[in-house]
Amino acid sequence: MADAMARPSRQAAYRLGCDVGGTFTDFVLLDMATGRYDVHKVLTSQDDPSLAIAEGAAEIDRRRPGAAAATEYVIHGTTLVINAILKRQGAATAIITTRGFSDILAFRREHRYDIYDLDADYPVPLIAKAHRREVKERVNADGAIVTPLDEAELETLLAELVEQGIESIAVCFLHAYANPTHEQRVAAIAADKFPNLLVSLSSRVLPEIREYERTSTTAINAYVRPLLGPYIDRLESRLAECGYARQVYMMLSGGGVIAPKTATEFPVRMVESGPVGGALAAAHLGKLAGIEDLIIFDIGGTTAKTTVLHEGRLGITTTYEVDRVHRFKRGSGIPIAVPSVDLIEIGTGGGSIAAINELGLLQVGPQSAESEPGPVCYRLGGDQPTVTDANLLLGYLDSEFFLGGTMALDAPGAEACIAAQIGEVLGLSSVEAAFAIHDVANENMAASIRMFMAEKGLGPSQTALAAFGGGGPLHADEIARKLGVRRMLIPRAAGVFAALGFLVAPVAYQVSRSYVTELDTVSMKELECILVELDQQAADQVRDVVGDAPLTYQREIDVCYSGQGSTVRIEANGLASIDELKRRFAEDYARLYGQSYDDLPVQMVTIRVTVSSAQELPDIGLPFVEEGDLPVPRWRPAFAPGSRQFSDYAVYEMGQLVGGAEIEGPVIVEDSSSTLIAHQGSRVFVDPRGWLEVEIEDAAR
Amino acid sequence: MNQVKSDHDLGSIDFQILWTRIISIADEMAITLVRTAFSHVVRENQDYGCGIYDADGRMMAQSTQCTPGHIGAMPIVVQDMLEKYPADSLVPGDVLITNDPWLGAGHTPDIFITTPVFSDGKLLGFACNCAHHIDIGGRMGAPDARQVYEEGIIIPISKLYQAGQANDGLFELIHRNVRMPEKVIGDLRAQLAANDVAAQRLVALVQERRLQDFTDLASMINAFTEDAMRKAIGQIPDGKYGATVAIPDVGEDGDELSIKVELTVSGGDIEVDFSGTSPQVNLPLNCVYNITYAYTIFPLKCALHPHIPNNEGCARPIQLKVPVGSILNAEFPAACMWRTSSVYSCTEAIFEALAQAIPEKIMAPSGSYPLWLSIFRGEHDDGRSFVAHFNAQGGQGARYAKDGVSTTVFPPNVMNTPVEMFEAETPMLCEQKALIPDSGGAGRHRGGSAQRVVLRNTGQAPIVGSVVGGRFEQGAKGLAGGRAGSKGAIHVNGTRLPRSEQVVLHSDDRLELTYPGGGGFGEPAERNVEAILGDLDAGVITAEKASQDYPSAQEALSRRGRLSPGPGDDHEPT
Repeated sequence: MADAMARPSRQAAYRLGCDVGGTFTDFVLLDMATGRYDVHKVLTSQDDPSLAIAEGAAEIDRRRPGAAAATEYVIHGTTLVINAILKRQGAATAIITTRGFSDILAFRREHRYDIYDLDADYPVPLIAKAHRREVKERVNADGAIVTPLDEAELETLLAELVEQGIESIAVCFLHAYANPTHEQRVAAIAADKFPNLLVSLSSRVLPEIREYERTSTTAINAYVRPLLGPYIDRLESRLAECGYARQVYMMLSGGGVIAPKTATEFPVRMVESGPVGGALAAAHLGKLAGIEDLIIFDIGGTTAKTTVLHEGRLGITTTYEVDRVHRFKRGSGIPIAVPSVDLIEIGTGGGSIAAINELGLLQVGPQSAESEPGPVCYRLGGDQPTVTDANLLLGYLDSEFFLGGTMALDAPGAEACIAAQIGEVLGLSSVEAAFAIHDVANENMAASIRMFMAEKGLGPSQTALAAFGGGGPLHADEIARKLGVRRMLIPRAAGVFAALGFLVAPVAYQVSRSYVTELDTVSMKELECILVELDQQAADQVRDVVGDAPLTYQREIDVCYSGQGSTVRIEANGLASIDELKRRFAEDYARLYGQSYDDLPVQMVTIRVTVSSAQELPDIGLPFVEEGDLPVPRWRPAFAPGSRQFSDYAVYEMGQLVGGAEIEGPVIVEDSSSTLIAHQGSRVFVDPRGWLEVEIEDAAR
Repeated sequence: MNQVKSDHDLGSIDFQILWTRIISIADEMAITLVRTAFSHVVRENQDYGCGIYDADGRMMAQSTQCTPGHIGAMPIVVQDMLEKYPADSLVPGDVLITNDPWLGAGHTPDIFITTPVFSDGKLLGFACNCAHHIDIGGRMGAPDARQVYEEGIIIPISKLYQAGQANDGLFELIHRNVRMPEKVIGDLRAQLAANDVAAQRLVALVQERRLQDFTDLASMINAFTEDAMRKAIGQIPDGKYGATVAIPDVGEDGDELSIKVELTVSGGDIEVDFSGTSPQVNLPLNCVYNITYAYTIFPLKCALHPHIPNNEGCARPIQLKVPVGSILNAEFPAACMWRTSSVYSCTEAIFEALAQAIPEKIMAPSGSYPLWLSIFRGEHDDGRSFVAHFNAQGGQGARYAKDGVSTTVFPPNVMNTPVEMFEAETPMLCEQKALIPDSGGAGRHRGGSAQRVVLRNTGQAPIVGSVVGGRFEQGAKGLAGGRAGSKGAIHVNGTRLPRSEQVVLHSDDRLELTYPGGGGFGEPAERNVEAILGDLDAGVITAEKASQDYPSAQEALSRRGRLSPGPGDDHEPT
């Protein structure tokens, strides 16, 4: 399969992936001829991330002379947008709504996210009341104009807002998805009279029905938009100064890369561009390994993230939330309804703090010691036991080999802390307490994964698990057993794996439009017209990057029985008639929910088109050497969950492994950024192409 | 902890891991139910509950999302089912069902389905769930029903399946008696599917952990929770705490209805006595014991231990006395479809009583109950018929240390109806949906704001609407010196309706729904001046009302001069 992949013809062409995270900015330079890659990390420059990017990019060019000039393009993901939202550091923004509806943002969906908590708080709207303004106009659900736009009133209002220092406006009129004329008039008038005012139209940002979600998404877009243009300009000129004269492309939350001009107009689509990298890289790994159903699982310092690859595709959601009041409670945040890779964050990571809660129960996370002060064993002032401290005590981490031996860990300190704060309270030995922390953390993560899959109608036991991030390979074996998963993929270089994802991302863009109508009252010709128009819209954005390259069109329609709240997304490629759409809906509905209902009217709600252009990629990886014998392992005692006591684990270094080797658990494989633990009953297979496959033969305890 | 540990075989960590797992299985049930149910009441309004029980029928866990009424009544339902069909008489493939309001959750649309779970022929426990069905026959929830016979069919506790064999007669009976039978039967299947998922997971769990059964686990979960609840109750000084609150609706002759409660706290026990509550009425406002029980436990848990997972242990320290024949313990065949109009006031009565002891843990009365719900039926101009619900909320009551939350549901949990969805499905146009200034009651902490919604029939044909709301005569009261929130009102073409009723909206008729505001908490004189100014900036209060409600802030207000919109923030300053 790998051989069948086209190889780029140009010599010494590179692509540079660059992921700006909260602490580090990660770089991966991919050699398109060989598939080998170089990795580099610099500290993120908080005030202007483009500074650190330029610094790191220049260093890469120094290390590999000529790399900058030979780099086809730079793919960039950034936390700029999400940070502006979380820190409320967006631009001076106003919102203009239909008369009578300026409170949409304040209403939310009027429900509670916790049924028992009387003390609950709800997110503060990004745009305050004084800047939520109304204008006379009205369009109805059919798109007919009921009340014409009062242009004189609008001009007065715009002048007033500009006078107040407003830089950016969101225009969110009712049913603008059905008829955008009034919103477009606002944009035209603003362009004419106030050319410096940035205007985000809800009919451009998210032409979909449901006023709260569309308004919220458009408001966020307007709020961050003035930050992005200047940032990309700075980034491009800084990169050009150090020799990278080619295009910079932006990573979107939906898993595609796109031209900066698109990202600048729709920055709300970049909110979660960082975490998507890991999901894309894991999906690519699944493809190389021939696995189509994969739980993708990344444990970092503060949280874990999980997403699911199903039938070779990553899930895309349009019900994403940011800035939750309770980080792990759904419904406590601000909705963003543009397409995002469907991933959830779980409040368990290496830095998660273990404590006895008010009920006298052991609680692990969501409070985290983060990187400062960090776990007790880091000796940076942390004085509360964490998951990492427990893992050290259990022998899963080596106090001498942590981060490739660059940081010696304080095992006695960790043990004393766990004994005092957990063991003595619960009447457990320090090792029992450490395993309790480890086990509770695993149970929490497994529970979250199980729920996430259940919502998609999937069961974990038919899938494999891809684990990466600093802690993924360490916890994967136990989590897999709790889930009933028998097979795991562990990439080599699991710690920098996420940054690779940008380089395998397709150039892709999704557009949508709500068109709410019963299928009995719509013709295929009408539907086809909308589909073609959406095809064109999305293709224009993709062509900005790929020119004349072949494009793939993915059409989908959200359909439900009339009056039903939630829709089912039906694939609409090659659709010949409305009857066929009905048939596909009935089939999918029956498959998902057990039966369909021939006698009920069917309604379509939203039409979606994704246009993408797959990248030609070499085999990406750092293969293992294919010949030779496995080295003689070191041995060290580690805690075996099955027997509940320490036993000897064989310890290998990742770089020493030989392709094709098979190793019986219990075994530990270490590299500089992560540690794989495979317990008794698991078997590790070293795939020469650059990853480990773990099979759990006996899952029972 | 130690005390619990010594009583049973499980180690404390195993106990905790298993407890987490059981809750996650209940959540997985709920997800399955929501995914597969047809009823929008289940999908969008979360009007369901899922629970897991041990072989003796003791509740171990409930789904995180659920409605308090269902989950609160469920432990009694399971016990009643086992009384009729003892555990040792059940076999694999049996499934039990009931919707009897007196055995279930107090009105006919709520159907309970219980599936015994077996592993190798041994009974492990039960999965039970309850869902509010879209129809159950009868007069479609008429607000003037006088007896339960008008409210659809009643299914006594029966076997829906016997050893895997469907009870065809019962299925046919249901099919023949409800509107939209395919959807109703479809939702019964969704309930069965949810229980089946739980059964699979429970069987896998005993195999993975090599457990004999769930008896020890159930004992530990309930003992642990009971212990925590008793400790929380122990924080309340011993004594009697009473309150009498008006039900925000009226009897058939316009007479006032009220709930009287007396809480007797003694160590770790609470006795809740509703003696003195109004007698049952010939209107569908009656509550059966089970639903009163549910809405007694719910506010106590909110106040005393909101974060502990719910199970029977929460209820054990609470003894309930409800006079037979009262509106909170109505006798058959009382009508009870709109029990929500009265039972939510149990929450208010209990909070008001607790306010005398633990004011920092409760909430002032909310404008979000009684439930406001409008159901419209009619025809589009092209002849297609429609049925559509419109859900929106009043303001929540203020908290001891925080303002009330604006336009948010309490005590059940329902999402609002998006205006655009509503308009896409009806020939109605929403002319306004806006927060009402001055609607939250004044206080040290202000009640949450309410909203006004104006709907106009833009079609040709008349539309029939069952419009249910409340607090028409008196707003939600304030607590501890806080002022009442604004009153509710329903107007048709400018004429105020005396009560919730069925209305006919002819072409171009306007229906105006004025939702009630939340009550305030504490003396207005204690309100922070900055908070008052913030409310002014955010348009939450008007300058006129501010000077009326907060005379002590007069000086600061006049210094500020007339209203000038500044960078206000509507996230209610506290």
